Amino acid sequence: MLTDTFTMACDQTPVVLAAFDAEQVSRILKSLGQNLLTPIPLCFLLGIICTRIHGGIKIPKELYLSIAIFLLMSIGFIGGHELAHEYQAHGVTTIWKPALVTLLLGCVTPITSFVVLRYLGGLSIADSAGIAAHYGSTSAVTYAVANSFVEQTGHAANSYLPTLVTILECPGIAIALVIGAALSARERAERAAAAGRPVKESKLGEALYEVITGQSIMLMAGLLLIGFISTIFMPEKGLEPFLEFFKSKGMLFRGVLCIFLLEMGLVAGEKLSDLLKVGPFLVAFGILMPLIHGFAGVYLGHLAGLNLGGCTVFGAIVSSASYIAAPPAVRLTLPEANPTLSITAALAITFPFNIAFGIPIYFEMAKWVGAT
Amino acid sequence: MQLYPLKLVTVVGESVIMEDIAKEAVKLGASGYSLIDVTGQGSRSARNVLVVSSGSKTVKAEFVVPIDIAEKILEHISHDYFEHYACIAWLSDVQVLRGERYIAK
Repeated sequence: MLTDTFTMACDQTPVVLAAFDAEQVSRILKSLGQNLLTPIPLCFLLGIICTRIHGGIKIPKELYLSIAIFLLMSIGFIGGHELAHEYQAHGVTTIWKPALVTLLLGCVTPITSFVVLRYLGGLSIADSAGIAAHYGSTSAVTYAVANSFVEQTGHAANSYLPTLVTILECPGIAIALVIGAALSARERAERAAAAGRPVKESKLGEALYEVITGQSIMLMAGLLLIGFISTIFMPEKGLEPFLEFFKSKGMLFRGVLCIFLLEMGLVAGEKLSDLLKVGPFLVAFGILMPLIHGFAGVYLGHLAGLNLGGCTVFGAIVSSASYIAAPPAVRLTLPEANPTLSITAALAITFPFNIAFGIPIYFEMAKWVGAT
Repeated sequence: MQLYPLKLVTVVGESVIMEDIAKEAVKLGASGYSLIDVTGQGSRSARNVLVVSSGSKTVKAEFVVPIDIAEKILEHISHDYFEHYACIAWLSDVQVLRGERYIAK
């Protein structure tokens, strides 16, 4: 039976390969090359190599945290500025559909992740919900890298994408944590009764409050609002120095993004040793789930009216997994979940996959669905 | 110079829980606390969720308290945190100046 299936698959391989003509293959390879051989992913790679060979690069924690603040402020401010222009030109007609799609995907992706992990992967409720919280949320750095990629290819994304990043940050974490807390409540009550102790108070509310009022949301949403207000009320000339400082095409943004990616590479390099611990299922999940979510993002983004660059970046943010906001929230709410699984999947599998291969793949997917 | 015999409760654990522990200790009767970033390694170090390559991912909390409060704090930590979090706590004897400040009135 298995041999038959294998023979059939082998027979069909040339047909599948024939579907990609030489031009398409060379286009995909060109996209990969355009993305991979640029300073941002190469800095990430340098970080990984440095950790693996016990090299001497040390990024001080304070510098990393300062850069994170700058990147979040920059994404928010420029996003608010562009959103104001969009609003002045078209009102809310262009943005309500993408915003609704973002909210929908923010609610669906944690559920699909949970179902796959729990019922296909056989992981515990807490581990499934914990990992689903990471994959339901998004990674602002993946956004920044995807945005740099589409700008380099000359297909800048729609101006309101940072607004969508902000919308996508919270619901995924909230939904996955609520699922996890609700389903594991009975298990906890049984365990506490067996041990003759009172049931521990859930920290769900506290964790959700921390996500919503956490640094990522406060800085991105806050600066989005500041950028929006100041664009509307301030003369263009007065706004110029701020735009110059924060702009994503600027040398400051691109430069510090390289330092940030170097740091992420150093951390991902450490986490690579954990790949053996998490097992093949989670490795496959960390690659295939982003592709599925990414395609859903690209396709629905296209239907909602995003352009080629917009669909690519949207696919990247929907597929990406949070590794800054989600881990502490999951740790507080679902303490029995093993953080090695979720952080390794998000940071050592999905993040590098997206940076190296995912973004160009979403770019090709966007072209394939007809985005222009 | 008068020294008061009191207890020093020291808790070292993953950063995500330490502020909660400190606040809960105050509710249990501690008059204050110190939180200090520390570096090191323990049997469950991998459980840290702060994604950074260098610097501290672990925090040490210290409370100077009378014995009855110290016992309450240790009991609370062992019940609520030991099972799932990377965390250790110990008790030492200390001689404290102006110790009357640490004794609940």
